[in-house]
Amino acid sequence: MNAERITRREMLKRLMIAPVGAAVLTTLEVREASAAALQRYYDPYFVAVLWEGRTRCDALWRSLKGDVVRILPTVHGATPYDRLYWTGYALGNAPVNVDMRVLARAVDHNGVPLGSGWREIGQATIQTPPMRWFRVEIPEGHWDEYRLEVRSATPRLVYSRLIGSQGYWRE
Amino acid sequence: MPVRFLRNAWELADVSWESPLPVAVANARFVPADTLLIATTNLFPTGERDLLGFTNPDLPTLDGCGQYRKLLWIYFRERSSTTSYTIQARATDHNGAPLATGWLTIASGTLPGASDPNASYWGRLEIPATGDAYYDQYRIVVERTSGSGYSLINKIVGVR
Repeated sequence: MNAERITRREMLKRLMIAPVGAAVLTTLEVREASAAALQRYYDPYFVAVLWEGRTRCDALWRSLKGDVVRILPTVHGATPYDRLYWTGYALGNAPVNVDMRVLARAVDHNGVPLGSGWREIGQATIQTPPMRWFRVEIPEGHWDEYRLEVRSATPRLVYSRLIGSQGYWRE
Repeated sequence: MPVRFLRNAWELADVSWESPLPVAVANARFVPADTLLIATTNLFPTGERDLLGFTNPDLPTLDGCGQYRKLLWIYFRERSSTTSYTIQARATDHNGAPLATGWLTIASGTLPGASDPNASYWGRLEIPATGDAYYDQYRIVVERTSGSGYSLINKIVGVR
């Protein structure tokens, strides 16, 4: 007879797993290899990355995507989001002095804008020492499309990410 | 006797300052937003009408809105001719019938627009401006009071 010596912790672990069975465990659907997915109340759609990338800033008003075509949105399908957060980092050794503005508009059921042009939600200048992060909060949510534009008298490279948050309320 | 709890799905741990009881945010609801209405209101004629064009004062513009904390009225004006608006609300019973006749006026004023009456304008109003809504029915009435006629293109989003 072979006696197996196990620690108390190992015994507890086996007790927890035993009723389920190894065969069943192997067929369980595995979703995401992240700790957040194991949180009971975590919803992966609670916040969403709406855009992420690199923008070459120059003297022209450019979308974060780089275009200067004013009718094009930077992000669309943003209706569910209560507010947006734009976080970025400008490369270069000179102090950062980047103008930015946020435009928004609504679309109909076919995705066609209700009218021409945009509503300007806000405009600001991001001024930071070199090698610093910046963050802009856009509190006017639930617009369908946003166009985030930047410009800089000194050409810069900006790496940034735009997050949409659905927010929540308590009963 | 110490209080213990199951930590990391397999480990029994004593409650202490270093290993407090796990907590989670309960009763939290996400805030999806629903598009409730997209309509173009003809403001070439004068006179009061709701966003759907109806002049009958008893007809709601929006129904079944009891679950929404806020309504966002987003509009595009082809012109900024002076236009007044009135937002009315009421509650209904389980059958969807209004509890009583008439409406509660929750907001009124001049619809924001550009300073140039011939300029187009994107606008947005929160209903109500402060506090929560949760009314069942709304009637949103507009009336062009001066200037040239135009089309008012509306979208209403309900936020839970």
